[in-house]
Amino acid sequence: MKSMNHVFKGKKNYARAKFDGCSEGKDHIHNRGKRFIISSFRTVSIAAFLAAVIFLAGCTGSGADSPPASGGSDGDKIIKIGMVGPLTGDYATYGQSVRNGVQTAIDEINAEGGVNGFTLQLIAEDSKGESTEAANAVQKLIDQDKVTAIVGAVLSGETATVAPIAQDSGVLMVTPSSTAPGLTDTGDYIFRNVITDDVQARQLAEYVVSELGLKKFAVLYANNDYGVALKDNFTAKVEELGASVVGVESYLDGDEDFRAQLTKIGNEVDALYIAGYYTEAAKIAQQARRQGIEARLLGADGFYSGKLVELGGDAVEGALFTAGFYSGDSSENVQAFVSTYKQKYSEEPDMFAANAYDTMKIVAQALEKAGNDRAALKAEMANVKDFPGVTGTTSFDDRGEAVKEVIILKVENGKFSRAR
Amino acid sequence: MMISPYYYQLLVIASINAIMALSLNLVTGCAGQLSLGHAAFMGIGAYTAGILTSVYDVPFAVSLIAGGAVAALAGLIVGLPTLRLKGDYLAIATLGFGEIIRVAILNMGITGGPFGLRGISKHTNLALAATAAVLVYWTMTRLMNSRFGRALTAIREDEVAAVAMGIDVTRCKVLAFVISAAWAGVAGGLFAHWFRYLHPSSFAFAASVEILSMVVLGGMGSLEGPVIGAVVLTYAPELLRGVSDFVSRHRMLFYGALLVIMMLVRPQGLVGAGVKGLRAARLSKFQGFGRLQSSKLGQWIAAAMEKVHWKGSTGSDDSCVVNEHVSGLAIGPGTGSTGTGVGRGGGEENAGS
Repeated sequence: MKSMNHVFKGKKNYARAKFDGCSEGKDHIHNRGKRFIISSFRTVSIAAFLAAVIFLAGCTGSGADSPPASGGSDGDKIIKIGMVGPLTGDYATYGQSVRNGVQTAIDEINAEGGVNGFTLQLIAEDSKGESTEAANAVQKLIDQDKVTAIVGAVLSGETATVAPIAQDSGVLMVTPSSTAPGLTDTGDYIFRNVITDDVQARQLAEYVVSELGLKKFAVLYANNDYGVALKDNFTAKVEELGASVVGVESYLDGDEDFRAQLTKIGNEVDALYIAGYYTEAAKIAQQARRQGIEARLLGADGFYSGKLVELGGDAVEGALFTAGFYSGDSSENVQAFVSTYKQKYSEEPDMFAANAYDTMKIVAQALEKAGNDRAALKAEMANVKDFPGVTGTTSFDDRGEAVKEVIILKVENGKFSRAR
Repeated sequence: MMISPYYYQLLVIASINAIMALSLNLVTGCAGQLSLGHAAFMGIGAYTAGILTSVYDVPFAVSLIAGGAVAALAGLIVGLPTLRLKGDYLAIATLGFGEIIRVAILNMGITGGPFGLRGISKHTNLALAATAAVLVYWTMTRLMNSRFGRALTAIREDEVAAVAMGIDVTRCKVLAFVISAAWAGVAGGLFAHWFRYLHPSSFAFAASVEILSMVVLGGMGSLEGPVIGAVVLTYAPELLRGVSDFVSRHRMLFYGALLVIMMLVRPQGLVGAGVKGLRAARLSKFQGFGRLQSSKLGQWIAAAMEKVHWKGSTGSDDSCVVNEHVSGLAIGPGTGSTGTGVGRGGGEENAGS
């Protein structure tokens, strides 16, 4: 209390001293009434809080009775598959694509009679792209819905948050889209079916240095986990192969003006590696051409969208980028998937949808062998070898990382075509 | 385990949110200073505690205290210059601070930058989080019933009058800010050791706004309010998941609508003015309401509303002592439109100088 006295500037003033004394006296009387009201309010609110807790705990009681580690009751012959990702918010397109991809696969599997007579049921939960929401969603899928496996999460930050939860609960989780390095190191229940940032950046570097003979590079990267991982690995591989990276500049997602970075990079480079997404890449391409930079544009799977050409126009012509999926591929299964997906959702499937579709098919194949058992399912997943999907053939290494081929696409006459 | 891990986790998050809301309430609810960067203090505490335990093997308890201390220090550094600002200016300054912290975390090596901080071990449990929340609640009760607490109330009600009464306004505000930041830092430490992974986006502007919503929804200035606001806003999005397919698909829409309706029906929050007895005086602070009051229809509505708001009190005048004296000095906000005019005019004058 002494220190509180310092808050007031002493009692030099007689009037103020008198006033203080007065207030203290009154305070005593007032506090009684106040305390009474506060205490009644407190009782009410604490009672309300306890009621809420008991109510919620009661909800769980009924849920906890059903057998663990099995999807739904056996009489229904249903296996529940969870999906978590941003279905609303800034990253909703990614999450929706993943959900649609999984749903397409599940519909096909169910139409063919399901898995060992079980019907698959998708329960998709929204994370808004926030880690805390994703954690709540995954806990709900595991505890309330009793899902057998989870496809997700979508964003790397989400996956990093929810992977420990799935691992601790012993539920298989396969992310079809999180590319940050090291995510599968969380444990043996965590798998990833997407080419990682380090793999695609290194393969592109190898292609452009060894096969195209380019020597001098500049890198412009988005300052997020995606951009930084691509930049680091591209630069490392280029230098390892004896070529040089002369300029490295960064930008933030949502930036509009890249002229300062482009001026620093200058006109002397053979190629400009843009480690980011198509919206910014298209703008960078246009501003670069306007500044007279004629370097070849390089990118990663963040380029793979029709919007790249729509927004970038002639400026992105000739750009090369890595991808895990090519919807123009002539193979039969890719074309079948693309047409089914288009029919259902009236849009072309992107790599998120394609990877999610393949992931669900792989999980279903493992389920068929393992039965509706979480531990056996995890073991079967690790055994997947050369699965023929729409994103190429897929195997898993001992860390749970998918080993798949990296496609290199080229923008030619405003369309994507396969360069490798 | 008696309770399912899902609800257990929600209770932990609710407890952490309650600490955040209670601590922000000291600055925004009690002292009336709008802060839009509160999540940044949580971020500082979370990263400090997380790095200490995962990289330097510091005991968990020590890391929690260190997280609170570093956040308090940040609060002091930010508070000293910015708390001399008023209203919108302070809000913008705190908003800027929040962004600075987020971008700083994003560009530092030790925080893992955009990859986030992984490898933190799980130490937080419900008992600990709930105990911390109760401790904060108790601290705030003691604070608000102290002389310091009443000084803050005086500052909120009328800064000019508070100065006239000899309250060292800046000092009070900075002290409130530092205490608030310290608790936010502790909440951050609990958060870090529950989720085991930290990402700068968890402490961005949206998080600050969410905490502010908890305070406003529950009832600014009261102590039960922020707690209830935190519990409601932690559970609401989750409860909406289960209602029906349509609701769960559009749950953020319902969530938003819920907030709007709440603010229309009870602008003072769930347990707001009823507790502190500010009622119409607080309401008249809103410009629109002041204008409304000066019209005839408005006077009628005001009279009716006043009746409604005074109902439920024991009939005795339980409004804040300081407030009453301020009115006695004839420069307080009062309940009429003229009083509001004086209050606002004074504020603008100060902001301009």
